[in-house]
Amino acid sequence: MTPQELVVRMLPPFGGWLALAALALPGGSPVRGAAVAVFLAAGPGAALVGLCGPALRVRPARGPVERRDPDFARRSDLLERLMLAVLLSTCAVMTVATVLIATRAFSAQRVLLALTLLTTLAAFCPRLRGASPPTPRTQKGSAP
Amino acid sequence: MTDLSDLPPVRLGRRGRAVRPAVPLLAALALWGYAVRHTDVSRLDDFGLVTALHPAFWAGLAVLTAGFWCTVRDPRRPGGWPAAYVLGLLLMERATQALLYPTPLYAWAWKHDGVVEHLLTVGGLQTADQVGDMAVYDQWPGFFAAQAALVRLLGVESAAMYMAWWPLVSSLMLLLPLLLIYRTFTEDRRLIWTAVWLFYAANWVGQDYFSPQSVAFALHLGVLAVVLRRYGRAGEAPGRQGQAVWTAVAGALVVAIVISHQLTPGMLVVSLLALCLVRRHRDWVPALTTVVIFLAWCLTAALPFLSAALPDMIRSVGDVGGNVATGYGTTPTGTGAVATSWAARLLSGSVLLLAVAGIVRQRVLRHRAMPLLLVAAAPLPMLVASSYGSEMIFRVLMFLLPGAAFFAAAALLPEVRTLTAEARAAEARRAGTDSAAAVRRRPALAAARGGLRAGGPLLVLLAGTLAFVPSYSGKDRINYFPPEEVALVRQLFDRAAEGSTVVAANRNYPLAYASYGTIDHYWFLEDDRRHIDEIVKDPAATLARDMAGVERPGRAYFLLTRGQRADSEMNGQLTGAQLDRIQESVARSELFRPVAENSAGALYELRTGGGAER
Repeated sequence: MTPQELVVRMLPPFGGWLALAALALPGGSPVRGAAVAVFLAAGPGAALVGLCGPALRVRPARGPVERRDPDFARRSDLLERLMLAVLLSTCAVMTVATVLIATRAFSAQRVLLALTLLTTLAAFCPRLRGASPPTPRTQKGSAP
Repeated sequence: MTDLSDLPPVRLGRRGRAVRPAVPLLAALALWGYAVRHTDVSRLDDFGLVTALHPAFWAGLAVLTAGFWCTVRDPRRPGGWPAAYVLGLLLMERATQALLYPTPLYAWAWKHDGVVEHLLTVGGLQTADQVGDMAVYDQWPGFFAAQAALVRLLGVESAAMYMAWWPLVSSLMLLLPLLLIYRTFTEDRRLIWTAVWLFYAANWVGQDYFSPQSVAFALHLGVLAVVLRRYGRAGEAPGRQGQAVWTAVAGALVVAIVISHQLTPGMLVVSLLALCLVRRHRDWVPALTTVVIFLAWCLTAALPFLSAALPDMIRSVGDVGGNVATGYGTTPTGTGAVATSWAARLLSGSVLLLAVAGIVRQRVLRHRAMPLLLVAAAPLPMLVASSYGSEMIFRVLMFLLPGAAFFAAAALLPEVRTLTAEARAAEARRAGTDSAAAVRRRPALAAARGGLRAGGPLLVLLAGTLAFVPSYSGKDRINYFPPEEVALVRQLFDRAAEGSTVVAANRNYPLAYASYGTIDHYWFLEDDRRHIDEIVKDPAATLARDMAGVERPGRAYFLLTRGQRADSEMNGQLTGAQLDRIQESVARSELFRPVAENSAGALYELRTGGGAER
């Protein structure tokens, strides 16, 4: 793992711990708001996308029938990862908050702590790797 | 993918080309900023924000649209410019109200703020025995639980502190899924960005406010994007390989939809089933996963609501007339209300007609984007299934819009051709037999044709973008509650003891659902028409009778505000004069005592010695 990859991988959990630390600031403070909003909007999702990334990439994406721009598919994949980071974060916030409120264990600090722990765990876990695509079988008699 | 040969040549230097798109964008934003600073919303008329807006706003919107159209049609400009223009459009469309109005718009947003407050107060979910009809929110709590956490984490007093900005946030959430969906079918960025533009311009339905629907719709589009890109049979997708992880990802999105909103899972199921109609996208796993998660929630957490609502739901199946009828209190009344309502209808109708034109004209695209056509048509059967509180027609319109906008954009652009057809056309041009060669010899004719080709679609785009404003903000006289109105209602809830009842004409006022766990409501315009006539005939006595029976320490209050008046007048219920008579009667009556009054309304309390209290 390169230092750059390490930084990218540790950024979401760092954001979570930073948001937790920002709770010490007075309510309504812009710094506190920014730290919390940025982490909740993308942190957990980014960590989950990082964790599942290699396994997700095993399945190629469907694209337009006629392809002229060689970068188009790569940019679509990037957009997809961004979208998943945001939407999975939204899902994580909604699901964790619902579970805590349904079990009458709700507090905002618990929601943030649970999400930060989930993000940290996802960042430290080894990446999920799907099975590599099956290599085409050599036709009978085609081997040299 | 489309034919680019019709585009006019660009003769600017490299630096000029790079900077040129910034000029209309910055000019539009400057005009918008000026308009926001010089718009007065204190005296809204029946046209809402339309007549209140400074003319610079309209000029800015026109400049932005023209700049977008010129930029997106130039294939040599970097792809970031159309994105910048769309962000500019979102700012002008969805942030203007947040900047202009000192309080959040829309009674339903205030209601959802009340639900968040209730969750924070109670700290758990409640049943119908405890909170009556409002228990429905405890059975789909995902959005509200997340907002409860956000309120506390931000350290603000309530969601009302930030919910005015929610339309911008929720609209931004749609951008990435929309782009991904469109990029599955075309590489032509003109088509992609024009479709995105048309979607935002035509999405006037107003479900972007602080609501579970706003988030569930973004998640719905996210699931569709994943399924369109990663599932299916044909092409390069290697069987079931890697599908388990994608199913887990899509499943997580579906869980969030299911725990937050009643209608969106149904819309998602019909869309995913529709996709199975085309062979290359036939994969039952996403649809089955959604059905299983949806049923699991319906048969457990949401069972109390569904078992109570099931008879009505079954009755409405097949009753298309009843499902699309809007009912009493939803008939636009007055020049402004009628005009803005027609603007909205014309906008939606035009986009749908354009979509039909695109489907008919673009034969190649119709075949290639058949899955998107099916996704657009899939919500239509829901009109037969339910009325969804007289809102189904608007929800169907919103859910079919992503697909419709794509084909509507295709109608504004040159015909999509296959590579083979393009090669053949190029060959013909080289041989000098193509009409283009003849046109080249007549530059005046070519310029005129080019101008018409570019001008016609630009006019359509401009009309649609400008029509968004009356469609979306034409009812702001109903939806805006000035600070005085908020203060008056807050005064009511500050003094109302547990067990009190608030009587009002309708629920169109801020904080209407504050303390709904302990304070009852009676909105008399929702009652039987005969009883409304009785109230109009003898207001004070009839209302006093209606308000009787409130047990101590509770009190009965009568509240009439400008928001209620606007809603009643503009939706064909009681007129302003009738409501004035009701207020005068209550004010003169010995049965009531005035509590508070300001420019936004008045508050009265039923006297304890009036024989109306037990």
